[in-house]
Amino acid sequence: MKTLTGAERVFKALQLQEPDRVPFHEGPNRKIREEILPGASDDDVVEYFDLDAVGVGERGLPGYRIETLDASHFRNQWGTIVRVTSESLGIPVEGAIKTEKDLDTWHPPDPDEPWRYEKLAELVKRYKGQRAIIAAFQDPFNVANEMRGAAAHYMDFVRNPDLVDRLAGLIRDYHLRLIRNCIEVGAEIINFAGDYATTKWPMLSREHFAKHVIPVLKALVDEAHSGGAYFVKHTDGNIIPIIDMILDTGINGLHPIDPNAGMDLGEVKKKYGHRVCLVGNVDCAYTLTWGTLEEVREDVKRCMRQAARGGGYICQSSNSIHSAVKTENYLEMVKAIRDYGKYPISI
Amino acid sequence: MADLSEIAQSLVARDIAKIEELTRAAIDANVPAQEILDEDVVAGMQVVGEQFESGEIFLPELLMAGEAAKVVMNLLKPLLTKQKGVTGSTDKKVAIGTVQGDVHDIGKNIVIMMLEANGWEITNLGVDVSPEEFCAAVKENDFQILGLSALLTGTMPNQRETIEALKAAGLRGKVKVAIGGAMCTQGWADQIGADCYAADAAETVKKFKLLIQ
Repeated sequence: MKTLTGAERVFKALQLQEPDRVPFHEGPNRKIREEILPGASDDDVVEYFDLDAVGVGERGLPGYRIETLDASHFRNQWGTIVRVTSESLGIPVEGAIKTEKDLDTWHPPDPDEPWRYEKLAELVKRYKGQRAIIAAFQDPFNVANEMRGAAAHYMDFVRNPDLVDRLAGLIRDYHLRLIRNCIEVGAEIINFAGDYATTKWPMLSREHFAKHVIPVLKALVDEAHSGGAYFVKHTDGNIIPIIDMILDTGINGLHPIDPNAGMDLGEVKKKYGHRVCLVGNVDCAYTLTWGTLEEVREDVKRCMRQAARGGGYICQSSNSIHSAVKTENYLEMVKAIRDYGKYPISI
Repeated sequence: MADLSEIAQSLVARDIAKIEELTRAAIDANVPAQEILDEDVVAGMQVVGEQFESGEIFLPELLMAGEAAKVVMNLLKPLLTKQKGVTGSTDKKVAIGTVQGDVHDIGKNIVIMMLEANGWEITNLGVDVSPEEFCAAVKENDFQILGLSALLTGTMPNQRETIEALKAAGLRGKVKVAIGGAMCTQGWADQIGADCYAADAAETVKKFKLLIQ
């Protein structure tokens, strides 16, 4: 097979076909980047690692933080107070919707603000046709968790489901507009990230997911598809009890098939590989953090054996290249993906 | 549920209105608060815990049961304090916090809820707690157990740092240390010198009971 562009490679995988090699587009974290390529530009990093896709994450845009509160805290566009930690996105500590009355005076952010699309437009101009263009957002279920506080939001499913739906609807409508705008600018893959499960079970019952969460996800997927874009969903945790519902929304890719929640990449590939492209699964909780180089190589080989044959697989970590990932392990993962990811997979 | 008392059944059913009514009636009938706690709340939360661990109920239902238990505990607390004597002291005191750099707390709060429903007195130290803050809390109080929660691989080392800080401050022998969090394992607990690791809230309740025996 002729050598494909990164974009062609990623799209073939999302179409459940075999490209020339397994796609890879997970860049390093800030610390690794500065260690390997001090002072490098974003373009330098993309070229150096030859990433098959480039992307913009909404939460990383400066305009997402609307107010700096102190050295450790900011308020984001949803009104959530976020604490800055060693992880790049920070952690929410207090939501804006403490009571239902707060929702009466709360206004969603404006999805038409031009600043939201400037970085995306730059990527499209620079890379369209060569590397796939991703626009990434936070799942409305998880935005609502932050806005209400997780415990209050979960209890709302039992004591005030109308509030759940009201809040979810406002967040959904913002994102529908955002997806449409991003596709107009040139985004080719729409990525929504947010956990639906803990390491043991989904956060909610199947009934609650079916009634309140899945319809929102389906609306987002339909919007992406109607604009000609692919849709990739990230969720950690053991989603096996609800995976059928998630796949029924029509998502094109699913990340990461969480190994720390006991999910087996090979089993999921066997059962669902004909429906969805699997993404990720190289363990970042232990292997990329504390493992040896040999363990990293073996884990990449495992992923290739379990998921890459026949196509429909994009290789990356099982969550993210977080701050505790060792530089040499990240580099070993990248090398191993190149070494073992050529089709036909022969390991 | 046939063997459960009405209060316990209301807790399992997450019927907050009914549980308040029944608890007040029990108190008015001079049922000792400790008996209500031991036979009704603990029994009810045990069933709730089992339902959660088996996937019969999920976070919304578990948290609502916790709210129901809180209603009972708020009614019982002043009576428990009175019945324990002037100091109101208890030998089941725990401090729990999420370690430095980590602000995840839903798992920790579920553990706290289950422990309180089993008669433990909990001090919630919050999130992003430094080793020094943990040491100060241990120094100034008489906790039997210190719980260190960490959800992220990157923050788990702070569980070790906290144990080392306790040793350096001469406080390690004053308290048993338990760890928990999605990425934690018994192996990690052994490696860092923790006294206990628990995988979930139900296991925490069982293991803490053994830890102070």
